[in-house]
Amino acid sequence: MIAQARDALLNPLLDENPVTRHVLGICSALAITNSVYSALVMSLALTTVLAFSNVAISLIRNHLPNSVRIIVQMTVIASAVIVVDEFLKAFAPDTARTLSVFVGLIITNCIVLGRAEAFAAHNKVGISFLDGIGNGMGYSLLLVTVAVIRELFGTGSLMGVEILPLANDGGWFEPNALLLLPPSAFFIIGFLIWGVRSWKKAQVEQADFRPISVAEMEKR
Amino acid sequence: MNNESPLKAVIVVTTTAFLCSVVVTVAAVMLQPMQRAYEDLERNRAVVAISGLTDRAAELSDREIVTLFQELEARIVDLESGAFDERYNPGTFDTWKSAGDPALSTAIPAKQDLAKLNRRSRLVTVYLVKDANNLKRMLLPIYGQGMWSTLYGFLALEPDLNTIADITFFEQAETAGIGDKILKPAWQASWRGKKLYDENGKLRLGLVSEPADATALAAVYGVDAISGATITVGAVTNLVRYWFGPHGFEPFLEAYRVGSVQ
Repeated sequence: MIAQARDALLNPLLDENPVTRHVLGICSALAITNSVYSALVMSLALTTVLAFSNVAISLIRNHLPNSVRIIVQMTVIASAVIVVDEFLKAFAPDTARTLSVFVGLIITNCIVLGRAEAFAAHNKVGISFLDGIGNGMGYSLLLVTVAVIRELFGTGSLMGVEILPLANDGGWFEPNALLLLPPSAFFIIGFLIWGVRSWKKAQVEQADFRPISVAEMEKR
Repeated sequence: MNNESPLKAVIVVTTTAFLCSVVVTVAAVMLQPMQRAYEDLERNRAVVAISGLTDRAAELSDREIVTLFQELEARIVDLESGAFDERYNPGTFDTWKSAGDPALSTAIPAKQDLAKLNRRSRLVTVYLVKDANNLKRMLLPIYGQGMWSTLYGFLALEPDLNTIADITFFEQAETAGIGDKILKPAWQASWRGKKLYDENGKLRLGLVSEPADATALAAVYGVDAISGATITVGAVTNLVRYWFGPHGFEPFLEAYRVGSVQ
């Protein structure tokens, strides 16, 4: 029981990380990782939504008709996202403005529906809650890692505090503006996935097909 | 009951939708006062920013903003008569909300509707910056349709009620990186010192696309266009022309200038 709980909570951090292992939730990871602060708020928002939706869907799992299960899950997720968005607007309006549509877009974040469909719809409430928190933390871990790299080398600061003195202000560090643009997150996430899979070989997927060489073509 | 029966599907969907709507409604209603308070604070920050009382409104704490805001003299102007209206409390009267109230608002004739508003409130809250009873600045709300959104802002006038002291916007959703350049301090600074009316009281303020080629007229009444943001900037100029035209503040400003309104 305890082992199961620990797995639900800790496996999504690395072995079953929703972003690096399952390549889900990429869109928001590209959009809001140019500052660590917005990445943290976004992580908190997604983890809350994920835990709430997993619990709610697990509660009704025995009464979910197969034909309408997706739409019911979406209703629950959308409501959780609206509630989180309203809280952000009331208590952190500046951050809510920076994150703009991306809080609302948690509704379409594949991780949330993915966990609802794959886990919460078949498991008990407690373990579903832990699974939600665990996957939220896995997403957060990646988000914050990417944001640290982007903010540090894109602006020379972390959480708005200067770490590397900028060349403009008499320091030595020349910030790389590419890191502030969304494509840089693609590269960083790509390298992270490569790194994790080189380390944990079990995560490498089987190739769908193998290109044939010219020599093989001629032999046929 | 069988999970796959149509009746069960209807029951589950209806119940979920109902429970979810209850949760969302409760959250929205309970959090609304706090969201409103922040919106008001942002608006007041914009007012303080162009009041001339401070030049670093963006850095001031919420409390400092409120303190400075309370130094301003809020008055309600009746745009129809061009006089102050003392019946309402300027602290709570909402100019923007009353534009939707038939009793308090009036339709704008299509020909004059440069700001594309259709209706506007008859009563408008303005702020006077005074120093020992001498008018230092007058802050007037301006708003109108931009390219994608309604632009909400304030314009500050020097005591001659003709020279623009400053302009600001506190709510907009124009194209990021292009239309939202109207928020840039440099562009807002280009409004300073421009004049609205000529000697005969005719509204002359307009848009110029080539400030380098500025004729004397353009230097006095012309506002810089931003390349790429022509529609937004044009909308700003139009809404300023509406609000300072005969259907806007013009009658009131004239009356205040000659001293018939105090």
